[in-house]
Amino acid sequence: MSRRTPYFFLLPAIVFLAWFMVVPALQIFYYSFLNYSVFSASTFVGMENYRRLFADVNFWWTLLNSFLFILVTPVLMFLSLVLALCVRNLQRGTKLFRTFYFLPVITPIVIAGIIWRWIFAEDTGIANYFLSLLSIPNVHWLTEYPTTIISIMLVTIWRGAGYYMMIFLAGLALIPKEVEEASLIDGATIFQQTFHILIPLLKPTLIFIFVISSTAAIKIFTEIYIMIPGAPMANKALVSFLYQQAFERFDLGYGSAVGVVLFLITLSFSYVNIKLIEQRG
Amino acid sequence: MKLAGKTLIVLLLTLGAFIAVAPFLWLLSTSFKGTEELFAFPPSLIPKHGVTQNYSGVWNAVPFGIYFINSIIVAATSIFLNVLISSLAGFSLARFRFRGRNFFFFLIISTMMIPKEVIIIPLYTTVLRMGMADSLLGVILPFAVEGFGIYMMRLAFLSIPKEIEEAGIMDGVSSLQLWWRVMLPMTKPSMAALTIFTFIGTWGDFLWPLVVLKSPEHYTLQVGLSSMIGTFVDNYRYVAAGSVLAIVPVIIVFLFMQKYFERGIFAGASK
Repeated sequence: MSRRTPYFFLLPAIVFLAWFMVVPALQIFYYSFLNYSVFSASTFVGMENYRRLFADVNFWWTLLNSFLFILVTPVLMFLSLVLALCVRNLQRGTKLFRTFYFLPVITPIVIAGIIWRWIFAEDTGIANYFLSLLSIPNVHWLTEYPTTIISIMLVTIWRGAGYYMMIFLAGLALIPKEVEEASLIDGATIFQQTFHILIPLLKPTLIFIFVISSTAAIKIFTEIYIMIPGAPMANKALVSFLYQQAFERFDLGYGSAVGVVLFLITLSFSYVNIKLIEQRG
Repeated sequence: MKLAGKTLIVLLLTLGAFIAVAPFLWLLSTSFKGTEELFAFPPSLIPKHGVTQNYSGVWNAVPFGIYFINSIIVAATSIFLNVLISSLAGFSLARFRFRGRNFFFFLIISTMMIPKEVIIIPLYTTVLRMGMADSLLGVILPFAVEGFGIYMMRLAFLSIPKEIEEAGIMDGVSSLQLWWRVMLPMTKPSMAALTIFTFIGTWGDFLWPLVVLKSPEHYTLQVGLSSMIGTFVDNYRYVAAGSVLAIVPVIIVFLFMQKYFERGIFAGASK
């Protein structure tokens, strides 16, 4: 074996990741200082894109909306934890339930968006039909902000609950059986056991899910593109704004400034994640 | 009390399962409805006059077959590249000691913190310069290799006992043979997990193909479906039939490989 052998094995991966990940991640910062459209040569404009960005109401609205989507995280965590605890206490049929809960997870977002767009349709949708049976007037699921945010969050919950349930099951599987048995012998009820023993031990899993769910929420795009295409930009999210600027108006420099803001936000989430992991030892 | 608790759990889980599955049944039912039944109020759950025209219609009215083939090409090529390159890199990081190993490992892990959405603009100019705009290659290459795959394959190679490597070296095999013949077969479960992750990821991917692909004959299923909502403004039926067709491969692959998929999630969650 030559000394160079390990590098040969590593080379293709490094070339791909450097070319398509690391370099673009640096380029985005550079682009954000340019007046850059696909059609003409680029010029350096310093902080101009950021000055425009911070004065753009659509930027602030989409940023706010993206943060609002993070509110889905605690709901998702609660629901998926409850599901995981229930599934775990089942003697039979766990596989069947896991399969059912996983169908939404593997469904392409475009198709999920299409289905829910019909369910939420104002006059013909089945959601308003069920509400009408309860004599509740039509809800403007897809046409009235901020109801639109809630509708899209419901889709996120529908798609995500099964996924996070699996991660909770993975976390629960790491807890030694003796710990649980000991607490039950000590006379703890199932609720005491859950709240005083299991949940504290699940802290790493809770942090992990909190971070990935929040990061996913702030990057939301496809659901919005499919479900509320006609909504004003101020009712959409940060990536919708980036897409509009870069690929509909071809203002790549300005779009890159949006990208940099998004990058800084997701990096700070990762930083929090790393800090919390270090803290636990 | 104990029994009541168990019953409650089963009821709760059944309700959850119903909510998870019901939208698919609604989609399936819509895909078999005729025009007059589509907007019937109250809506009918089981079509009274089931029709299959929607399925033949979507194949004839749009190049749906081409979308399908394009999606298969994208998924198959991505799986091939990802599994091959990740297992090469994972092998190197797990089984060799060399200068810069920690640096490269750190670099690879760091790329997992770069969101796709952030880098699509520079990636688009890169693809443009490489002459791959509006091509399937432009869709495939940028995300063919991801840090997570390398991370997962490295774990798989780490778990192989030292004795197997030593036995191989005693037999005088080269490094390439050691990787391909001796060790790679032992990482099959991880390769299977990576395969299904990549399949589900690329099959459902939307933003990047939307950016790259311009001409309908290059569309993948997801881009094609989204364009159908635009053009067939209210032709729910074709879109419903198309969505059913596009989702069937995912469900089949998932049902056959669920075990590996769940294993992969467990590995990802305990990192």
